[in-house]
Amino acid sequence: MAGDTVPEAPRAPTIIPVLVILALGIVLPFLLSSGFHLRLAMLVWIYAILCMGFNLLYGYSGQISLGSPAFYAIGGYAFAMLQTMLGMGPVSAFVGSLLLVAVLSLLIGLPLLRLRTHYLAMATLAFMLVQNGVANRWINFTGGQSGVAVPPLEWGGEPIGRMGIYFVILALAAAVFILHDFLIRSHLGRAMQAIRDDETAAQALGVKVTRMKLAVLVLSAVMAAIAGVCFGITSLRVDPSLSEFHVLVSLLTIVVVGGLGTRFGPILGSIIVVLLPQLLHEFGELETVVYGLFILLFLLFLPHGLSGLLERRDWRLRRTGKKPAPAVARDLKEELP
Amino acid sequence: MLMKLSYLLLAGLTNGSVYGLIGLSLSVIYGSSRVINFAQGEFVMLGAMSAVLFMVTLALPWPLAMLAMIAVVIVAALALDYGVYRPLTKRKAAPLTIMIGTLAAAIVVYGLAFLLWGPDQKFVPPVLSLTPVRIGFLVTNTQQVSLIVIFLAFLIATWYLLYRTRFGLTVRATGVNPKVALLMGIRSERIVQFSFIFSATISGVAGMMVGPLLGGHVGMGLLLTVKGFMAAILGGLGSPFAAAAGGIAIGMMEALMAGYGTSLYAEPAIFVLILLVLIVRPYGLLGDYEAERR
Repeated sequence: MAGDTVPEAPRAPTIIPVLVILALGIVLPFLLSSGFHLRLAMLVWIYAILCMGFNLLYGYSGQISLGSPAFYAIGGYAFAMLQTMLGMGPVSAFVGSLLLVAVLSLLIGLPLLRLRTHYLAMATLAFMLVQNGVANRWINFTGGQSGVAVPPLEWGGEPIGRMGIYFVILALAAAVFILHDFLIRSHLGRAMQAIRDDETAAQALGVKVTRMKLAVLVLSAVMAAIAGVCFGITSLRVDPSLSEFHVLVSLLTIVVVGGLGTRFGPILGSIIVVLLPQLLHEFGELETVVYGLFILLFLLFLPHGLSGLLERRDWRLRRTGKKPAPAVARDLKEELP
Repeated sequence: MLMKLSYLLLAGLTNGSVYGLIGLSLSVIYGSSRVINFAQGEFVMLGAMSAVLFMVTLALPWPLAMLAMIAVVIVAALALDYGVYRPLTKRKAAPLTIMIGTLAAAIVVYGLAFLLWGPDQKFVPPVLSLTPVRIGFLVTNTQQVSLIVIFLAFLIATWYLLYRTRFGLTVRATGVNPKVALLMGIRSERIVQFSFIFSATISGVAGMMVGPLLGGHVGMGLLLTVKGFMAAILGGLGSPFAAAAGGIAIGMMEALMAGYGTSLYAEPAIFVLILLVLIVRPYGLLGDYEAERR
């Protein structure tokens, strides 16, 4: 085979865009004037953390689990209750809530992950509704509608200001974001995509499907719990609204608007979903209608989401040089016995 | 003792009929297009709220009001077909994307209904009388009984249409494989359109009939969609009859749980039960049909 027909191997995506986004995140609070804007910025990161977990689970591994809001809420509740009821410090409560969610998601994932598609979606949705129902009803334990207060974060005896909390959240988001990006670019990300595209084929190629699916479910649940803890330290209160239906709708909207199975989709989608209602305030009563129409327009004209738009442009630039030779792939196949 | 049980069973049957009708309509759409329509509950809401509009505000007699209500839900179904389903399938969107599209459509419908009817609970006028009627030792009313009758009527109509007519054969063929059906000269798009219209009509009628019992509210759609979805999953998504049976099962469980257990935890307990059923039978109670096809 002539050497020049071998296409250049696609270069691994660089980490530079990740660093750029994080740098923007560091600069951002200094550009915002009001506390309200800073709160919106925190919400963007919180939703981004939640949706990165969902992106790994659905966008990359193809397991549509609608249970993320439940883990989000459980993470927040556990963080608050470990502090108020057991008197733990914030760091140990953080670790404890993540461990709790990890164990819980493992227990739920073991029986449920053999379900497929809509059945898995329904089962995990049922799990979310159970969690929400219990949080609403078990008033002595969860505080019912009013929820549980989260003790404010302290540093050296003094409560941390808004700016400090923003940077705590940014640090957690950065850790999740880098992990998310690392997984996608590594062989593990390709294993997840193999599972999404064809489980049997993936198994035949040596991917440990069950173990992988469980690992991704636990990871995404832990990410959701981190988001829940972040919500707790910004709002100083967790209540059943964390696992209500509108969170799920936001979650689905974010991954679709941002782009399913893309590197930056969750972050771009979170920016849109958090900021859009603020921009739509001037429509007054029409707000809900415009919001729905906006999502529809996104689905129609940007089917791969915002991140898909960016990655496609990237792809086009790369293709301007030499055309890839699909013949090579066929040659390779024919060489196989 | 027996009295209480039979009352609970009757209540369960009535609620179950509504869930069953929604499950049936979800399954009809799923059968032809592989899409879970998250706007299905909005059709029920439109049915109930249109009854308020036509029977109270415009004071039409009920047969005319029902026709007008069916016209409203058909317009909504066509809007869903032309505005969401077709453009998205043309762009080769994944089923989840289309599902989110129907969710967005549900948000739009909810927003429009909110503008029209406002946030308050509305009294939906009964088509039949709400005065108590005795059947044996049970006291009920014709509105309640009519729901069960309508449920059975639609069940039989769907069965006849799908399994005893040539047209039903084309619908089922589209469900099995739309491309091959297209090659056989079946216009798959029209079949999908029909399934949207048919299921919207079922849900609209269900909404108009259950409105007087539940009360009409513009936000009632979502929970009904979830219950219908659960019914369809519990029975088995592949067949409309399994979905309908799932609805009855959920209605019964709800009533029995509220009657003998705690009514406070009735809802979470049912979701736990559904989780357990799915763990034991991953394709729903009667889901072998779809499991076999894989």
